[in-house]
Amino acid sequence: MAELVILIPIIAGIVALLIKKEYGRWLLPITGLIHALIFVFIWTGRVIPLFEGFVMIKPEGLLVLGLTSYLFVMISIYSISYLKEEKMENEKLFVSSMLFFLASMSSVTIANNLIVFWISVEATSLTSAPLIYIHKTKTALEATWKYVLICSVGIALALLGTFLIAIARDKAGLNIDLTFSELEKVAMFLNKDWLRIGFIFVLVGYGTKMGLAPMHTWLPDAHSEAPSPASALLSGALLNTAFLGIFKTSKILHLADIGNFSDVSLIILGLLSTFIAAIFILKQYDYKRMLAYSSIENMGIIAFGIGIGGIAAYGAIFHLIHHSLIKSSLFLSAGNVLMSFKTKLIDKVGNVVKFLPKTAIVLFAGFIGIAGFPPFGLFFSELFIILGAFRKGAYISVTIFIFSLILIFAGFAKYMIKILFGKEEVEPEIGENRWRVYPQYILLITSLVLCYVQFDQISNIMTSAVVIFGGR
Amino acid sequence: MISLSHIMLSIILLSLIFALNSSRLKILITVMFLQGILVSIAPVFLGEEISTTFALFTVITLIVKGILIPLLLMNVLNKVKMKKEIEPIIGYNFSMFIALFIIVISAYLGNEIHFPVGGNLLGITAIATILAGMFLLVSRRKTITQIIGYLMMENGIYLIGITLSTKSRYIVEFGMLLDILVGVMIMVIVLQQINITFHNINSSKLKNLKE
Repeated sequence: MAELVILIPIIAGIVALLIKKEYGRWLLPITGLIHALIFVFIWTGRVIPLFEGFVMIKPEGLLVLGLTSYLFVMISIYSISYLKEEKMENEKLFVSSMLFFLASMSSVTIANNLIVFWISVEATSLTSAPLIYIHKTKTALEATWKYVLICSVGIALALLGTFLIAIARDKAGLNIDLTFSELEKVAMFLNKDWLRIGFIFVLVGYGTKMGLAPMHTWLPDAHSEAPSPASALLSGALLNTAFLGIFKTSKILHLADIGNFSDVSLIILGLLSTFIAAIFILKQYDYKRMLAYSSIENMGIIAFGIGIGGIAAYGAIFHLIHHSLIKSSLFLSAGNVLMSFKTKLIDKVGNVVKFLPKTAIVLFAGFIGIAGFPPFGLFFSELFIILGAFRKGAYISVTIFIFSLILIFAGFAKYMIKILFGKEEVEPEIGENRWRVYPQYILLITSLVLCYVQFDQISNIMTSAVVIFGGR
Repeated sequence: MISLSHIMLSIILLSLIFALNSSRLKILITVMFLQGILVSIAPVFLGEEISTTFALFTVITLIVKGILIPLLLMNVLNKVKMKKEIEPIIGYNFSMFIALFIIVISAYLGNEIHFPVGGNLLGITAIATILAGMFLLVSRRKTITQIIGYLMMENGIYLIGITLSTKSRYIVEFGMLLDILVGVMIMVIVLQQINITFHNINSSKLKNLKE
């Protein structure tokens, strides 16, 4: 019963609403661990889906599910300590929303029916909205409003795209269920024009959720206003799940022999996202927003890599994994800085090295990682993508791509140095706590280990996910 | 039966002009009542086989789309003190022109591309409703009108869903309805909170978060 990954967090979420908040917060790591355990069973094939047709375990889904599960465990360990120190008014709502959010994301990763997939993505918006709204400040309200409205409209367009793909099936006179697996089998017979229009709407729709420019406007607001554990989950896990929709649809287009169309669209949106993120990172005043723009950049890189195909597609999947690990660790560290300094303004914080030494190390390591330097994974994935682009002869795109990466590094370096070593304007109030630092270290170490130790099981999943895109 | 469905679809088309031209929120929400009801019973008139599950599903859709969601909006409208009415960014006369333009464009598109079921008018109405909803979303200042714009878009997309020959299973459609209902509920809650915090529901007040 693979559906347990959805069911258990939902039950835990309901329980969290009913019991005292001091106990309720422990439900986060407990559920996370059970979730991870079920994931391992699914991975090893001991647990299979009950509702075949609606649900199916695919390599890309399995990868994102595992990643989500792992991140959730780490973030929940952090959250325990975070919730103890940060007096949150609505803690019960926070805990149960986190759990519901986990359920909806798991549902996205295992959904096979296109409409079930859509329902799950919409559910991720609805369950994460309370997380952004939780502080009830003016800015939080604004961020929630933008998030709910922009994402709902975007996802409505994705529904339209889904219907258009269904029409592509009807026009071809095929009497099959509207599932990814069935559509992949008959992709050659689908009506190509309808499939193209459908893909555009799906791309715009799920692209909104994934944070691709120019539909990204909700993302910096939502990620900076949400409490840090929620931001880490939004950036590390949610964006990946939205990406799955584009990935799977693009797969159908490739099988229908019009992959070129989806590739070009993905390359354009990917480059635009990286470029826009680069411009906005250069003049940033808020460090959580800076991290949010970096997420837009990385989503752009993933889209670009998939669009290029071949070794770059493999690089994109590699990038997805390592971006999630490093970015969540950065958001959690940023949470520590925010808790101590009580401000998100880069100008006011400084000298983190002195006040929060452990956080400073992990923050700096995360910065090295996210900027794409060795020894972390993003170095290799970006290298794969650039190599792939050169091999394909996409010289202009790869120039824009590298140029944006350099800009982003420049912006990031300037502000990170200010935060770590610069002069502070406010005195930090709370020190660091080891439980709010260890999860970040573990996340970064995981990223390192996955880079240098080749686990056959994992690399097989990655390869089989991108086989259609010409990945190795 | 065909002619009846044509009349219904025409009423939906007319309601769009009405919605884009109206200056009062009450009228706009009334249009949403009408549209919700018509859209949810439309499949009955498009010659689908009537079975028990189909009837049950139509009734549920009717309750959610035609009654519950507009009632939620009406309710929030009464709670929120409205100083001015709709406050368009684009004036009513021009909006009227846009409405007609949208219908012409949709007629062109609807005749160019043939939807499998329901004839051209269904396609035209669906496209026009989606476009009108999008226009409402961007051209009005009040947050409540943005919700209405979103719902209108959703109605249009629902109409396109009707054109699918093999319908997806009802349990799936039920999930969709639930999602939209919960979505609107969350929007309404946020809207009320915005009203309490900002003493206003203009989206122009929401400009603190900027680069």
